[in-house]
Amino acid sequence: MSSWKSLLLRIGDKSSEYNSSSDFKDHVETCFGALRRELAHSSSEILSFLLQCAELLPHKIPLYGTLIGLLNLEDEDFVKKIVENTQNSFQDALDSGNCDRIRILMRFLTALMCSKVLQPSSLVVVFETLLSSAAITVDEEKGNPSWQARADFYVICILSCLPWGGAELAEQVPEEIERVLVGIQAYLSIRRHTSDSGLSFFEDDESGGDVVEKDFLEDLWERIQVLSNNGWKVESVPRPHLSFEAQLVAGKSHEFGPISCPEQPELPSTISALSYGKQKHEAELKYPQRTRRLNIFPASKTEDLQPIDRFVVEEYLLDVLLFFNGCRKECASFMVGLPVPFRYEYLMAETIFSQLLLLPDPPFKPMYYTLVIMDLCKALPGAFPAVVAGAVRALFDKIADLDMECRTRLILWFSHHLSNFQFIWPWEEWAYVLDLPKWAPQRVFVQEILEREVRLSYWDKIKQSIENASALEELLPPKGGPNFKYSGVDGQEKPEQEQALSAELSDKVKGRQSAREIIVWVEENIYPTHGLEVTLSVVVQTLLDIGSKSFTHLITVLERYGQVMAKLCPDQDKQVVLIAEVGSYWKNNAQMTAIAIDRMMGYRLVSNLAIVRWVFSPENIEQFHISDRPWEVLRNAISKTYNRITDLRKEISSLKKGVISAEEAASKAKADLEAAESKLTLVEGEPVLGENPAKLKHLKSVAEKAKEEEESTHDSLQAKEALLARALDENEVLFLSIYKNFGTVLMERLPDASSDVTLQSLKSIHGDSMAVDLEESSTMEVDDENGIPKKSQSNGGKATNTYTVREKEQWCLSTLGYVKAFSRQYASEIWPHIEKLDAEVFTGDVHPLFRKAVYSGLRRLSNEL
Amino acid sequence: MASLFKDPAKISAYRDRRFNGTQEEFEQALLNSTTVYIGNMSFYTTEEQVYELFSRAGEIKKIIMGLDKNSKTPCGFCFVLYYSREDAEDAVKYISGTILDDRPIRVDFDWGFVEGRQWGRGRSGGQVRDEYRTDYDPGRGGYGKLVQKELEAQRQLVDYGAGSLGSFPPVMPPHYGKHGGGQGHGGSYRHGRDYHRKRHRDDDRYGRESSKRSSDHESRRTSDHDSRPEKNPRFRESGDSDDEEDDDRKRRP
Repeated sequence: MSSWKSLLLRIGDKSSEYNSSSDFKDHVETCFGALRRELAHSSSEILSFLLQCAELLPHKIPLYGTLIGLLNLEDEDFVKKIVENTQNSFQDALDSGNCDRIRILMRFLTALMCSKVLQPSSLVVVFETLLSSAAITVDEEKGNPSWQARADFYVICILSCLPWGGAELAEQVPEEIERVLVGIQAYLSIRRHTSDSGLSFFEDDESGGDVVEKDFLEDLWERIQVLSNNGWKVESVPRPHLSFEAQLVAGKSHEFGPISCPEQPELPSTISALSYGKQKHEAELKYPQRTRRLNIFPASKTEDLQPIDRFVVEEYLLDVLLFFNGCRKECASFMVGLPVPFRYEYLMAETIFSQLLLLPDPPFKPMYYTLVIMDLCKALPGAFPAVVAGAVRALFDKIADLDMECRTRLILWFSHHLSNFQFIWPWEEWAYVLDLPKWAPQRVFVQEILEREVRLSYWDKIKQSIENASALEELLPPKGGPNFKYSGVDGQEKPEQEQALSAELSDKVKGRQSAREIIVWVEENIYPTHGLEVTLSVVVQTLLDIGSKSFTHLITVLERYGQVMAKLCPDQDKQVVLIAEVGSYWKNNAQMTAIAIDRMMGYRLVSNLAIVRWVFSPENIEQFHISDRPWEVLRNAISKTYNRITDLRKEISSLKKGVISAEEAASKAKADLEAAESKLTLVEGEPVLGENPAKLKHLKSVAEKAKEEEESTHDSLQAKEALLARALDENEVLFLSIYKNFGTVLMERLPDASSDVTLQSLKSIHGDSMAVDLEESSTMEVDDENGIPKKSQSNGGKATNTYTVREKEQWCLSTLGYVKAFSRQYASEIWPHIEKLDAEVFTGDVHPLFRKAVYSGLRRLSNEL
Repeated sequence: MASLFKDPAKISAYRDRRFNGTQEEFEQALLNSTTVYIGNMSFYTTEEQVYELFSRAGEIKKIIMGLDKNSKTPCGFCFVLYYSREDAEDAVKYISGTILDDRPIRVDFDWGFVEGRQWGRGRSGGQVRDEYRTDYDPGRGGYGKLVQKELEAQRQLVDYGAGSLGSFPPVMPPHYGKHGGGQGHGGSYRHGRDYHRKRHRDDDRYGRESSKRSSDHESRRTSDHDSRPEKNPRFRESGDSDDEEDDDRKRRP
């Protein structure tokens, strides 16, 4: 890499390129010197690399801005090009709704303004354009308030620029910036407060109803107001341009041409709550909220920061996470080396955990954050592991209120994290969960972590890892072997006949008989005399046993002999029995149960509807609040269905492209042929076919082939579209079935709907004998006697954590939590079927708490909410 | 995203000699493949452990364990086949260099599994890297194969053939002579095949943790290692025979 490039890349870092100096002024001077030398012969290369750096390393934008300001003194044309280029990118980003790019380019424009490359008033014009678009959107008459997500995003972008250039704007164009701020204030008064109970981490914001938490925009607005009252001083934003002020003022300011915001989509012609909800959902998908704060650490850990510094550091961290995905080394080193003069480990941990648990989805797979946390633990071995442990303890204390989806992610993360650190954890701190009833969320949490640890490692190893709290062994999963009915070793032996049949089948498989031969054998020798139940049991148990040694053995058996099972279980009723047989064979191994069922669905031996029915069978319903086992199976079934749909959509979109290019190719070939034909007729007034018959023939065949190609891609597109339409219909049936089942089991167990029942009241129906007082070392949020969680109090004293929820109520709480989590995760797939669901499931007599869980998962407005 | 720091020309440093095609075709195969290769695994790691870890990157289509071509037992590598390219990319990004079964594993794009690639390519049946290693790595069958052979020869000289238990202490030859058939064999006998497998495994583990790449002095204390990898203690036993298992593997489409 040429040296000017590495200087640009490494500017601001403590690195060898800058002789480990950490003085920004030095950095800018050194880098500027190098760029100035290269400018004459590699200006276009510098231009594109510089813009790339600014976009991908946004925490260095003030440094790049200053550099450009200095370059402006050398070569105005060069900088003019930078400005024009940026304007084009910015307009593109607005048009395509590329949120990250919009946000970062606005920060870049702000930095250009600071270094005198842009007039402050040009920046204000940009702000006003966005603000007026936002104001129109939320206007009930002229706009489309369902798109508030975008309007909010624009306003957040404006506010986000102020830490970087508020001081300059206030100094140079005080009235104009004041006007913008007044406009924002006005906007805030028209827009709707975003109440995102469907996306909040904790289920505790409905306790009072009078304390309305600020949404993201309101919170940022408040931070900006504090900043403004503080004279726009921000510690976390470097201001390198100040060191060069005297030179920079001599630079020529460039024009920033007008930009325009795309129109908001029109309101649907028939305005109904449903169509409004669908549009709102779409807008929120396109303009998602970037982060949501977990607030798990006591205020004392972060309170010495100015409110705005917290926001700025979060922006830095989120940008590094965004742009350095897949670059472990750089990601970790930028995370720990931000250009701020204070420590921020707690803020860093909280930001990463907020992303890991972000609802509905984090920007990347949860595993990415697992990796980042590991790498930071290694990069800051003295500080970070303790902070992570603090986060775990804080989340553990609030686990009963934590969203179900977040709980699942936390379990997967924590087990994976520990597997990378020798499974060391002070388990004795949590040994007390054994005194809690088996449905207590903390106890279930510990049990599920141990389950996942065993899967990643092996039973004895994990048993050893909890030696300092050996009582927790009780929560370890069973040792995991198969439970084969015909093993002939357990006491309650099966009838000899069945035993013999199983052995015979096993021999046949070893003798490599074909599936067909075995089907015939089963149909002639077992089924007629023993009936379906025994036949199914013998066949399924024996085949599973043959495939029990490993995942691959299972696949091999299912591939070769799956048809034997399929033949026996052609309909849903029998498939449910088949799945139950799997559950019984692998009753000691949740992982193999899930894998086997998943593969059977993969080979279409069982349908997703059969799986749903099995999940809602009585023995599984009993597990809903004490184990993840049935939920894992349900999650797999929905996600497999979803993956199939996604694959079809991808194929269709690429086929569509294929059709377009095939059409183009066909019409071009046709045109070529026609041109060639008409050319031939002109030869000396008469058609001389002999001129170039070979070429003509060739063109003809090309045209024919192209036509065929066009037709065949058309056909395959139609075929795929038909498949997709069928898959979507099946999906509708799937969700109908899931919701009907949920509705029924909840109705049977929830308290009478007529009473004024809430989640909080469920929690506070006490079982007197269940109260267990516990000493808590933590100072985090604690439930008081009424079960109403208080906002974090850090008195440092001992508190009493009492878990008093009775079994039935906890069952309801857990199940409602899963209802919400599933609804949220698949909201985009559910919304298209909402009319049907409304008509068949969410009718008047559905339990209000069930309806509420679904609605909040879908983020659907309703009068009840 | 972070194109600034990545060398786009370099997708993999490793070039499979068995790949039939040009370097370009090889790289193209890597760019489109949904298969990843996992290296530096413990011989004891099971498919289910691999499944648990790698399914966190996406839905898995298949797992193919690398096997020693003589003993037909896992020899420390495997292939994971995903349905989607994106998931394979995430597996490489997020799992490579992290720990599975106490070992940092390597995850790379692979040009695609073909029958035959599941077998170790080393002279002795396992992976080539396990031929020449000189360290003691209990997760991968103790010493490298060459060192093992040398030790075997040494031992037969000293032992007069009495040591047919297939074990010896993990010490370098010069030290070994002094032990004769004493302590070392006693140890291995106790922890031989009939001893509880998991327990034995734990001992191995302990030994490795305290003596990994350490001095002779350290490793001499952990004197009860089998020289050759035992049958995987974490494989679920069931009525099926081992031959069947190998056949299954060979026959898989």
